[in-house]
Formats: sequence, C-alpha cells, structure tokens
Amino acid sequence: MSIGSDKLNFIVAVTLYGVSAIYSIFVFRKGFRQDNRVNYCLLLGGFLFHTTAMFQRGFSLNRCPIHNLYEATAFIGWTMAAAYLCLGLWSRLRFLGAFASPVLLAIGIFALMPGLDAKSGTMVFSGGWLSLHVALFVLAYAAFGLSCVAGLMYLTQEHDLKFHKFRAVFSLMPPIQRLELVSGRLLVAGFILLTGGLIVSAIWARKVSVAFVVDPKIVWSLFVWALYLALIVMRWKFSQGGRRFAWGAVFGFLFVLLTFWGSSLLSPIHKPTP
Amino acid sequence: MGLVVIGLSHHTAQVTLRERFAVAEARVPEILQSLRNSGVAHEAVILSTCNRVEIYAATALDQRTAFTKLQEFLASVHDYRDPLHDEIYTLGEPQSVHHLFKVACGLDSMVLGETEILGQLKKAYEISLQHSHTGAVLNKAFQKAFNVAKYIRTETNIQRGSVSVGSVAVELAEKIFSALDDRHVMVIGAGDTSEKTARALLSRGAKSIIVSNRSHDRAVALAQELGGRAVHFEEWADEFEKIDIVISSTSAPHYVLDRTKLEPLMHRRKNRALLLIDIAVPRDIEPEVNFLENVYLYNIDDLQAIADDYLKQRKDEIARCEAIIAEKAQTLLGPRRPSAEPTPRARPAFGHE
Repeated sequence: MSIGSDKLNFIVAVTLYGVSAIYSIFVFRKGFRQDNRVNYCLLLGGFLFHTTAMFQRGFSLNRCPIHNLYEATAFIGWTMAAAYLCLGLWSRLRFLGAFASPVLLAIGIFALMPGLDAKSGTMVFSGGWLSLHVALFVLAYAAFGLSCVAGLMYLTQEHDLKFHKFRAVFSLMPPIQRLELVSGRLLVAGFILLTGGLIVSAIWARKVSVAFVVDPKIVWSLFVWALYLALIVMRWKFSQGGRRFAWGAVFGFLFVLLTFWGSSLLSPIHKPTP
Repeated sequence: MGLVVIGLSHHTAQVTLRERFAVAEARVPEILQSLRNSGVAHEAVILSTCNRVEIYAATALDQRTAFTKLQEFLASVHDYRDPLHDEIYTLGEPQSVHHLFKVACGLDSMVLGETEILGQLKKAYEISLQHSHTGAVLNKAFQKAFNVAKYIRTETNIQRGSVSVGSVAVELAEKIFSALDDRHVMVIGAGDTSEKTARALLSRGAKSIIVSNRSHDRAVALAQELGGRAVHFEEWADEFEKIDIVISSTSAPHYVLDRTKLEPLMHRRKNRALLLIDIAVPRDIEPEVNFLENVYLYNIDDLQAIADDYLKQRKDEIARCEAIIAEKAQTLLGPRRPSAEPTPRARPAFGHE
C-alpha cells in the first residue's frame, strides 16, 4: 500500500470516524446539546479523506467505484457522512453526529474486512439487470442502517425518560414516538426494497440460468428477509413496539454488518473471479 | 464623554420606594428634555419597569459631579425629600456598560433569564430616540446591548427550560409524543396543581380532558371549565383505552392505579406510550408500574428535581454570560479609555436571586 493511495486515505477517514465515535461517548454522557462542533469537524475531516479515496479509485478505474463489496460499502458510508454533514449545517441537528459516527465506523471497518476489495477484472454479469439488482440491495441496507440509527436514538432517549434523567428533557432529541415511527417506516421501506431486490434477482437468475437456491449468499439473503419480516409482524400484529422493536432494528442491522462479507465470500456467484 | 447609570432596582429598594420613583411613559420625553436642559447629560434614556427605575446618560462632567447632580435631579423630579442611602446605585464605565448588557439579557432580573425586560429596554430606547435625546454614545451602547442579548439567548442556556412543575410535565409529554394535538389527557382527582398542569397541556393542543373525582359535581364543574367530559370515579378504567397522559392527584390513602390493574389495560391500549404524572402525596400510582414497557411514571419529586436542575443550570450559565458580556463590553469601550477614577457607591457585584 503506497503512501497517498486510495486505501490509505480511506483508512485515515475510518480512523477519524473512530475518533469521532470515541468523542461521541462523552457527548452521550453529557446529554445532547448544541455545542457539538468538535464532532462535526472530525466527521468533516473524515469525509474529506473518504471523498479523496473514492475519487482516486474512480479515476484509476475510469468508472463509478461501486463494483466490488469494498467499493459499494465505502459508497454507502460516504452517502451517510454527506447526509449528516448537510443536516449538521443546522446547529440543532448537529448532535446527530454522535449517532452517525459509530455507524460510520462500523461501516468503515466492515469495508476493510479482508477479501472484499477483489479486483473485478472479469465481470461474469453486467448490464441493466445488474445495476437494478445492486441498487435495490444497496438502498435496502441503507434503509436498514438508518432505521438502526433511529433505533439507537430511541433506546438512548427512552432509557433517559424511564429513569427520570434531566438530560431526557434537556437534550435536542426528537420525541420517542417520532423516532419509533421513523425507525419503523425505514424498516418497512428497507423490507420492500429487499423484497424487490430478491424478486429481480430471481427473474434475472432464471434468464441467465444460474442455480438459484443453493448459493449461500441467497440463503443468507432469504434469512435476513425472514428476520425483518418477523420484526415487522411482531410490531404490527402483536403490538411489540417501543424498546423491543428498536433493539430488533439495531440487532438486525448489526447482524447484516457482521455476516454480509462472510456470506459474500462463501458464495461462488457473488465472489468476483480474479 | 462616558456612559453613566443611576437608578434603583429590586436588588436595592423595596417596592414602596420603587413606586415613588416610577416614571409614567407619557412623562418620559418631558423629563428627558429637562435633564438635558439642566446640562448634566447630553444624551439620556429612562428605563422604568416594576422592578427598576434607571437613567442611562452620556455626560461630559466628571463622574462624581455627574452622579451628585443626577441624584438631585431624580429626587427633584419625584419631589422626594427623604435621605437616600444605599437604595440608589451609580455606575461609571466600564461597569455601566456591563450593567446595561446584563439588564438586556435578563441577568439582573428577578426571574433569572426572563425576556420581558429586553422588550421594555427597547421601548425605553425608542422613546428617547424618537425625541432625539440619544446620540453617538447611547445609540452605540444600546444597539450593542440588543445584539449581546440576542447572542446570549442563542449561544447559552440561560433562557432554556421550565422552572415550574406544570411546564416540566408539558416538556416531558413533548419528549414522548410527536404532537400533543391528538393526545387525550385524563385528570384523576381535581386539585390546584393538576388543574394547572392540565391547562398547560391543553394550551399545547391536547384534546379532551376527562376529569374523574369522588365527588362527581366537582368533576363536572372542572370538566366544564376545561372543556372536557366528566366521568364517574368507578368508570375511569373503561375510558383508559384512548388515554395517553394521566395526571393523578387524589387524596386516597392507597394506590389508585397499580401494576396488576394497569397491565391488562396496557394490553388493550396496544402498548402505546403512556405518561403517568402522579402529583398526589401519598402517591396514587404504584412505583412498580414504571417497569412496564412503554409506561413513563413521574411523581412530584421527579418533576421538581427536573425543575431544580433547570434552575441550577441557569445559574451555572451566569458565569458564561458574564464572560461574554465582559468581552463584548471591551469591544465597545475599546477605543475609549475607561475612567481611572473610582466609582462612588458602585456595587460591582449584584446578587442574583
């Protein structure tokens, strides 16, 4: 890895996200107030390195860098950081950095897992179907990620309200009912996108005649789909809203983050041929 | 030419004295005119509220003479002949500027951090400006004071939060529910605090108030007053399905609502969030219910603790506000040297109640 390479820039970016995540622990302890500029600057610094890394990769390959898992994950993280930096222009929303930075750190570490950044020299598949397939899954996991962030916010604020902490009323966090609503809607949106992605993949797989069900990645995707379906049924059918649902959204996404790369590496059709 | 302040406030004078010195708004222009005619001040603003009467003046005289003449003027305007001691305070630069900024920010007010005073100060300045009794010194100082007040309001927490039990309850409700306009409130046992809390919730748009009390007549009377519906005490549990907030203040010696009673009710409410405010002593609601999912129970002490924290925080912010004020005063006074002469009878440290 040479100095100034795109991977090194990305590692610097993830390190800055990490520093911001550690700083966030103190923000959590203090309650969420307006003066959160340190976090904003840290994330901005991380974002600049992140952007540089993506441009370097993009120019070296002469295309949008989302063709292997490392690139796609880095891209999702980059979008999230950009979204936060825009929202953070309003000082009232700057506290969201305390929730964004741990997720950015997790996504960054995930992207750096070994084996993900494979050279995608020979693509077996290409074309419109591939783009649709990738887009639907990326959007679905982004929605699950945001739902997880809203869930974390809900759990923090709910805990403070339950235990009569002063910072519950003092913090800038939105009401827990709104957080629950946002988390729930994002989760449903993610679920619909995931369903769409699976259907598209099934149709496409039949077209190019790939063995569909036996692949570990597909089994894994169906499992994730069932997991989120269970969460949704629990929430709306058995009124298990509130804390349990928020934990579900957090653990669901954590599960995705921790197992996504493994399932991809096990799957012959998703593992790019070197 | 320097800025001086002379006056009396709730820190130094009783209301009996303050009312003697109060100036009716209509008389202000005429008094300002005679003050300038007397040659003591080139520019002047009179601030007269129920808590303070102050003259802000720009004078070319040396401070000692200016203060003596201003005090004489103040006494003669109100035809006050008794001796005055510590009731009147006089401040020269830079304390006069600090004082003006503090007043504008509500730091010198009876309720720390209140905002009404800023409006009153603006009004006083407007009157003087309209009648051309202000000039370079006062215009600059007052404009700066208004800026500082705005800055302090946005940058510090001196004006944040509620310091009463009723408004803390409203804040809690707003941290739980997305909007209060479609929330239903139930008041069990009508009392003074519960009525105030209910009114505070109503003013934020909460919907129907269902009052329940052992004496049904009182419940009906209060329900009418609050625009709600009265329910018999024995039937309140039946209404529970659509209730989001409960304010309880009965004089019952035992728990009105306990865990075994609430658990099935929560199930019927589909586990929606429920805010329980227990302001009764002895308590009406079993503390155990707080362990139920989506139930948030606050008793009178919890609410009071939050209100106290807010007040404590406002007090903690004083030091920050004063640092900002000192810095801003420095930029205003920068080119002019503060007078080396000691200020007679100045009170550099005002107490804050």
